[in-house]
Amino acid sequence: MLTKKARWVCGVCIGALAFAATPHAQTPEPTSGKAMPIKVAVLRITETQYRHTIADVFGPEIKINARFEPEKRVERLLAIGSAQLSVTSSGFEQYFAVASSISDQVLDEKQRTASVPCKPPSPTQADDACARQFIERYGERLLRRPLTESETLARLKTASTGAKQSGDFYAGLKLALTSLLVAPEFLFRVETAEPDPANRGQYRLDAYTKAARLSFLFWDSAPDQELLAAARSGVIHTKASLNQQLTRLTSSPRFEDGARAFFTDMLQLDGMENVIKDPTIYPKFNQSVSYSAKEQTLKTTIDLLVHKTRDYRDLFTSNDTFINRPLAAVYRVPFVSSSDWAPYTFPQSSERSGILTQVSFLSLFAHPGSSSPTKRGIGVYEIFMCLPTPNPPADVDFSRVQDSSKGTVRGRLLDHMNNPGCAGCHMRSDPPGLALEHFDGLGQLRTMENGTMIDVSADIYGVKLNGAQGLGKFLHDDPRVPACLVRNVYAYAVGRKTEKQDVDYLFDQAKAFASNGYRLPDLMVQIASSPEFFRVVVPSGVQRASSTPAAATAPLQKPGGVFQ
Amino acid sequence: MSLPFNRRSFLRGMLNGTAVCVALPVLNRFLNVNGSAFADGAKLPVRFGTYFWGLGLTDTPTGGTRWVPSKTGYGYEIMPELESLKPIKDKVSVFSGFRVIGDGRPNLVHWSGHASILSGVAPAAPDRFDGPSFDSKVADAIGGATRFKVLDIDASASRQPVSYSTRTGATFAMPETTPLVLYTRLFGAGFQDPNSGDWKPDPSVMLRQSVLSAVKDQREALMAGVGKADQVRLDQYFTSVREMENQLAIQLQRPEHCAACVVPTAPRETPRSATVDAVRANTKALAKLLAMGLACNQTRVFNFVHTAGISETYLAGESKIYHQITHDEPIDATLGYQPETSRLAGLVMQAFGDFLIELDAVKEGAGTVLDNSLIMAFSDTGYAKIHSIENIPMFLAGGAGGRHKAGQHIHTTGESVTRVSLTAQQLVGAPVGEFGSGSMKTARPITEVIA
Amino acid sequence: MKWHLIATAVAAITIAFPGSATSQQPSPSAKWTKTYVIEWNEPAMYYGAKTGVIDPGTDCPIGTNPSPDWIKVLVDAGYTLEEAKWLRNPANPTRSPVHGQNQMAFRGKDRANVYVNPTSTPDPGLVGVSGSLAEGLNLDGDENTGFTSPTGEKGIDNNFYKALGCWKTYRGPHRLSSGALNFNDAMRDGSWTTVIVVSGEGADPMNDNHVKVGFYVSNDKMVKDGSGNIARDYTFRIAPHAKYEGILPARTSNGVILSTAPADIMLRDPGYTRNLELLRARVNLEMKPDGSLTGYVGGYRPWEAVYKGWVNARGTVIEVLTWVQLPAVYYALRRNADYSPTGPGGEKTHISFALRIDALPAFVMTPDASQEVASVESYKAIAPKETATTTAVPFLVVDGIVPDRNAKVQAGPNAVILPPAAGSTKGPQ
Repeated sequence: MLTKKARWVCGVCIGALAFAATPHAQTPEPTSGKAMPIKVAVLRITETQYRHTIADVFGPEIKINARFEPEKRVERLLAIGSAQLSVTSSGFEQYFAVASSISDQVLDEKQRTASVPCKPPSPTQADDACARQFIERYGERLLRRPLTESETLARLKTASTGAKQSGDFYAGLKLALTSLLVAPEFLFRVETAEPDPANRGQYRLDAYTKAARLSFLFWDSAPDQELLAAARSGVIHTKASLNQQLTRLTSSPRFEDGARAFFTDMLQLDGMENVIKDPTIYPKFNQSVSYSAKEQTLKTTIDLLVHKTRDYRDLFTSNDTFINRPLAAVYRVPFVSSSDWAPYTFPQSSERSGILTQVSFLSLFAHPGSSSPTKRGIGVYEIFMCLPTPNPPADVDFSRVQDSSKGTVRGRLLDHMNNPGCAGCHMRSDPPGLALEHFDGLGQLRTMENGTMIDVSADIYGVKLNGAQGLGKFLHDDPRVPACLVRNVYAYAVGRKTEKQDVDYLFDQAKAFASNGYRLPDLMVQIASSPEFFRVVVPSGVQRASSTPAAATAPLQKPGGVFQ
Repeated sequence: MSLPFNRRSFLRGMLNGTAVCVALPVLNRFLNVNGSAFADGAKLPVRFGTYFWGLGLTDTPTGGTRWVPSKTGYGYEIMPELESLKPIKDKVSVFSGFRVIGDGRPNLVHWSGHASILSGVAPAAPDRFDGPSFDSKVADAIGGATRFKVLDIDASASRQPVSYSTRTGATFAMPETTPLVLYTRLFGAGFQDPNSGDWKPDPSVMLRQSVLSAVKDQREALMAGVGKADQVRLDQYFTSVREMENQLAIQLQRPEHCAACVVPTAPRETPRSATVDAVRANTKALAKLLAMGLACNQTRVFNFVHTAGISETYLAGESKIYHQITHDEPIDATLGYQPETSRLAGLVMQAFGDFLIELDAVKEGAGTVLDNSLIMAFSDTGYAKIHSIENIPMFLAGGAGGRHKAGQHIHTTGESVTRVSLTAQQLVGAPVGEFGSGSMKTARPITEVIA
Repeated sequence: MKWHLIATAVAAITIAFPGSATSQQPSPSAKWTKTYVIEWNEPAMYYGAKTGVIDPGTDCPIGTNPSPDWIKVLVDAGYTLEEAKWLRNPANPTRSPVHGQNQMAFRGKDRANVYVNPTSTPDPGLVGVSGSLAEGLNLDGDENTGFTSPTGEKGIDNNFYKALGCWKTYRGPHRLSSGALNFNDAMRDGSWTTVIVVSGEGADPMNDNHVKVGFYVSNDKMVKDGSGNIARDYTFRIAPHAKYEGILPARTSNGVILSTAPADIMLRDPGYTRNLELLRARVNLEMKPDGSLTGYVGGYRPWEAVYKGWVNARGTVIEVLTWVQLPAVYYALRRNADYSPTGPGGEKTHISFALRIDALPAFVMTPDASQEVASVESYKAIAPKETATTTAVPFLVVDGIVPDRNAKVQAGPNAVILPPAAGSTKGPQ
């Protein structure tokens, strides 16, 4: 019988070790001479982070009409994937076009008095002094740190060339701003570590990197003036200042943005945009329904965990939620309100159980024309328990899989389990999904299928349960569930997979989470104030500052080279 | 900022010829008697594309095949799942019996097949290739003189946009997914009509170039202190910047007159649907735009995904998706294969037929865009029911400007898919002598189809 | 955050106690309610052919009335053959609403406008229904007056059908007549919504002697689903209306709702007439196992308003598109009118009529959006004063035609029809 800790460790381990980890060098001892800053991570900012930053810096009226490069989910989080993304040429075209568009709007004749902090002596000529003010002000906000002199000079050159060639000072500023908006230091969070004055030979994240980590975690946006000031003065390195910032960040209404971004990632709600359902089988489905479904889940989660600071585990059992008119028609409940959205509590008889039975989860993990216990089971394990599902083995003998004559999806799946090649995986992945079979591929309640009553009993490694409410209770009571949230918050916050060496830390954090009543804001503050949050992990092959430029072209790798 | 060489000299180096796409007056003066090459012997510019569809074609271990012709060489008979190729079969070569050799690496379902075809090596993980896809090599060789080095298109209406084109193995391209989006990219802002009489260089283009210089100047400072993996990704960013620069530089040159180029009207938005019919219609509409994009010299290299490896496509009104049917459907004892699966495979291949016909519909020189292109079409698997990576169906379509001796069925037993990949690369003039690694390393192209 | 808690509390309370709190007129709470939204409504007809939409059948042996020979009509009205041909030549007066062959209106005695003065021309004789079957209701309680229903019920009073049932705009199988398609498309695209509330006091909704049926307006649009049908289960809020409301006492028997007493109601008409006044109205509606509702609501409707509705939708356009001479409609309605509100000796201003309805299950909220409706009651007292209603067609129609302000020559009794010798610019446009 596994101890609680061991069982918990097992759960996280399986998650953490699912894919080979990058070997990390120890924090290197600097050799003689000055130690140079190193860049410990390069993470591409997400679409919402991009939009929030532009709105913060230039105002919410700036329209952003662009296609953003798709993100990549790694170990169940887009945040981890963001550290593995680059920018394709098509993606760069889009960034370039939207950067020009934003610059045009910011420097529009009506806007420029507000956005340019100075007036040039002549509006038709270049002026380095005013251009510098503009570049430095916005450069700091966009690059999330002060510009180096070299960076400023490069933009000054662009601004003055532009002003001279077009006879318009502001045209020069537009070009300078565009170059900031396509700069890699804006599009990517370049996390930097500097020698730690308190620990000789060690590195610490620099102040601006710390500020960015905090603001992206809590507000899903670039650091604001206050955080930048705390970084500039260096006080952000102190415990007192950090705590002060944490209080400020979590008590602001903008904390909702950060929580939304986290749960959109963890619950894989980014997929809702592209869900397709067959119009004859699920005629009630449309774009409005899929947008509403995502919104419902986010509203529910934020209300429960941020506004009401309830127990995280209630997400699986509480039927307090929000609906709008299209969703009400899908759920087949009345929408009694004159507003767009209204709170609603599903009655016991609806068989619903928290976010597991919301249209978002149920329709995401299903097929266009039917439910999918396998997909849902895999979803439950991956998202809520951090247990990834291994790939189907290549040597499964699919030739022996015959079509089932059983009337229900459940019956068919159970028939497949008679095939030993299939049983291994399906016995594990299917049961949670089988418990949800009273909800069809769109998430509508249906208790009969082809004239047979649907059996929603399930056996999850010896734990017998029945239906969605049984599954909800199971997730509520299983310690791996809050442990998984802890792992996700941490991995999301630091943009990194969790490793073997994180196990003890995550265990302690999970304990604290439990003793604090499983409250999410407290968890995030706790993690952000722990030393692990700012831990420096030096990636392999770090180049020190050298004067040898790297090759001018990306080297075409010989086939067969393994990348990692 | 000026380029160390201008576009013409760059082209001269590549093609030993003159214009990238030819106008009729030029044609008369410079072409040989057949209209298939310049008078000095240099070939007309060739385009290269990949075409991918998911879930293979029917060829069961018990002997039921629905796509492998019994004849080899010229004049192969049209098999049931290849009905759609009948009108253009003389322009399509069929390759059967080629397989992936994993050298001990497990078969990652719906991944190892095309990863091997494109990168030459069986991948270690199901979300990456272990090397670049070879279309990037071809793009480097022949794609630098057009506005877009490569165009990536995905017709599948999948959950996430699908692309198998990668330079690093870790990040894949961002494809255009609807006709309106593709139209906007090709013919929207930034498009310069090669046949417009009043072309003038746009001064704002030079100003945009200065924006990119400011970014590139900071490269050295940025790369200092960066880890190896991050360096690779940042290098890809700078490659993208350079491609943007190239685009701008091309925009500053008067485009060559292209007789075949007729700017189409903007398509309408269509509702998103993943049914077999909708994806087929999407493919046809995208192919039409692509064909004109090629004729207007906007790109010379493209990657087209019809359906993903793990295809979610389905017949409208059916609750089971095609992928599920490939696994669930039993083999019919009398027929020797899965009838419903085979029907679906035939329907999916109809889109490939549509695709080629659209490219064949645009006249160019003495032939068509298809004649001046080479498309390598392939799937992720052979017999989908068991995720087989034996006998993965592969096709080469198009004339490659006369180099491809099309219309043949080439059959092998157990040779590597990389032989076809190598053949494709050589047919379009990429300077490649060998391709693949380990047991899939090959230096032997399939000479039967090379003129 | 506080508003949030209060809102939740209110929602919880209203769910727990349906029928309480906020209705204007307190009434005993019903034991059960069933609520619907009308997704299709058309005049009840009976199509007697086996195929097609205009084929000959038992209802109309020669098929749907064919298009009049307009040249003959004009010649009969006194125009010369040359004038008639000139007027009917598409190259001359075009089919636009402005030109609209406006001159066609003037074919009465002394070139009177027949749309506003239908008796100025002799009755062209609209061929009506000659079969014995009709859909509808027994309005006068007499089994010997009227048609037999397709299911064998006797005494179906539907003279509207009798008079106009062979007219192209009304004739056809369910949902296929051109008129029904036109008006229901508009309704389903959001032009208007009618909801139905059924409530009863018994324990079994399928068999209850004390039932009420309410028809109400909602300003919430219907939503189409992926198959192009109206989606079920949407919620609609009742919008109190000064005119359009109908409350009928009834009983249910094996799931069929039957009126127990007549009522005078007014509904939104799926047609150009707009106001569907129904005197002595009754219902016959079946609550089906799949949750939908289908059947009839009928009564005696003012017949001249029907005629005027067509006239005001541009008489000339209606005549040509629906193959009818509008004066014939007037005469046919007048001669088939079968009810006088003032009693047996009075002028028969009304004609028996039934509306066939298909309705889907929907949730219906009280006007203040605080709860689901719990009983059938009237909201007319809290309805806003009626403002000018929108016109049925988006044109300015005067006396059945759209005058062309820019025309040099206006259509009319004195208009010169033929242009003068070639080269002149005079003459009607």
